Amino acid sequence: MPVFKTPFNGYSVKFSPFYESRVAVATAQNFGILGNGRLHVLDISPTPNSPPVAELAAYDTADGVYDVTWSESHDSLLVAAIADGSVKLYDLALPPTSNPIRSLQEHTREVQSTDYNPVRRDSFITSSWDDTIKLWTLDRPTSVRTFKEHAYCVYSAVWNPRHADVFASASGDCTVRIWDVREPGSTMIIPAHEFEVLSCDWNKYDDCRLATASVDKSIKVWDVRNYRIPVTVLNGHGYAVRKVKFSPHRQSLLISCSYDMMVCLWDYMVEDALVGRYDHHTEFAVGVDMSVLVEGLLASTGWDELVYVWQHGTDPRAP
Amino acid sequence: MDSKPQSSANSPPPKPWERAGGSSGPAPFKPPSAGNTSDVVEASGTANHGEIVSTSDRSATANRNALGRPAPPRPWEQNYGNSSYGGYGSTMNYNSGYGSGMYSSYGGGIGGTYGGGLYGNSMYRGGYGGGLYGSSGMYGGGMYNGGFGGPMGGYGMGMGGPYGAEDPNNPFGGPPSPPGFWMSVLRVMQGVVNFFGRISILIDQNTQAFHMFMTALLQLFDRSGMLYGELARFVLRILGVRTKPKKVQPPGPDGLPLPGPQNHNYIEGPKAAPSGSWDNVWGNDANK
Repeated sequence: MPVFKTPFNGYSVKFSPFYESRVAVATAQNFGILGNGRLHVLDISPTPNSPPVAELAAYDTADGVYDVTWSESHDSLLVAAIADGSVKLYDLALPPTSNPIRSLQEHTREVQSTDYNPVRRDSFITSSWDDTIKLWTLDRPTSVRTFKEHAYCVYSAVWNPRHADVFASASGDCTVRIWDVREPGSTMIIPAHEFEVLSCDWNKYDDCRLATASVDKSIKVWDVRNYRIPVTVLNGHGYAVRKVKFSPHRQSLLISCSYDMMVCLWDYMVEDALVGRYDHHTEFAVGVDMSVLVEGLLASTGWDELVYVWQHGTDPRAP
Repeated sequence: MDSKPQSSANSPPPKPWERAGGSSGPAPFKPPSAGNTSDVVEASGTANHGEIVSTSDRSATANRNALGRPAPPRPWEQNYGNSSYGGYGSTMNYNSGYGSGMYSSYGGGIGGTYGGGLYGNSMYRGGYGGGLYGSSGMYGGGMYNGGFGGPMGGYGMGMGGPYGAEDPNNPFGGPPSPPGFWMSVLRVMQGVVNFFGRISILIDQNTQAFHMFMTALLQLFDRSGMLYGELARFVLRILGVRTKPKKVQPPGPDGLPLPGPQNHNYIEGPKAAPSGSWDNVWGNDANK
């Protein structure tokens, strides 16, 4: 399956919810420490006679792009989280000169993650190193709300896929918080790990379960109805787990990537939870996604500047 | 595969989980409200448009937060230089006596050099998380009294500043222009300088660590030799072997003791020394 070489270090990869062959990749120069960034939109064709990966668009930014999310309401709209604290909106349908169509400058520090509301489809959240999460809607030039309760960088904020008003955030203050956009404060604080929590994601089939990934190398699955103890703990990564994601197709399947350069697939319901392990990256694997349209289609990117898209069970490096 | 949308342009195909059943039980969330997000938030009275959280605000929130421990330094705050690299003095009382507090001095010595987030949050802005690599006990504990624990952090050192001066609030300003020539040259030079700075620090520390290691090894051999000698002498004395009278010299050819450096017991002795015996010169003078 196709491999794409990006000029900068990959930070995030996301499948389009509209086109099964389209992915967006967020990259940052010099490992994101300093330098520019670039947002790629790739089209992947599985037919052998055409070039495997075609770059549909690429947008340069003045600082690294840490995350990207596709709009659920417009098939050409992208939201990018930039390291200079801005959130930029891109429209693939417009010529490159008129992009970005919007630059939202409210965060005072690097924006680490962004997520589009998959239920109501008119809003998105961004989480930043200024300890806050911001809620934005497409029809407004400013944020609708700011959620400030975390005591350290918020590394990830994810909407509940079954509830339009609920999202979860993972922070370096070692907690995961559950928020309702109608409540003034967080509705739940889960002291999830002993170390920084880098990522979290909701189960797509059970709106009470979420997974967290941490610097302590473990992934924990939690039930928000009983968050004193985790449902299960998945050990197997050798270093901090950077991202975790539940499968859109199977209830108990989740994928993770880690600084040990591995991409792992887990089934948290079974005894032998680690069901797949890919070592195709030669540097830190920091971005991973599962296609919502094609079951088993996976994508990953990392600091080796490569983007892999492959079917589960096949070798990502195979041409 | 052609890139036809699987659905209309304004709503994606239904998610797989939307076709499936509900959750495993009652959720502890309030039922979702109808309407779009702006209206829902405004109706709840929590809207606060365009709020910009300043640093002072942030520390206030940090104080009323339930975090039970002090938050680590921010990734962009970790500073290189203060107290991270010190601690190399006061290390080696190498020539102090046998059995004085030799090894205890190692603890304070090399402390504060390794560990503490070398790969931690500081180095890469990606939020790698601190604490994992630091003070993991690889160097800490054991031989060197946990001395190898302190912060080596601050590799990231303030490189996070945004560059470029384009107006980020101008949504129609086109894509950000690539940085100017001098800007990129300076940036490259900064990168190079940083790189060599890092390399030189690592080389320096490796050298110092190697030095400590060799010193310790030499001391070990030295002391073990002494220990062996002491034990051997002790055992021999227990066995009744007299090892003490070593000073007896074989008589010289004319019945007088031979001259030599060991002969200080014979300072007062007859001046039988032939030429070259400087040991007795002053003694003889004093006797005169």
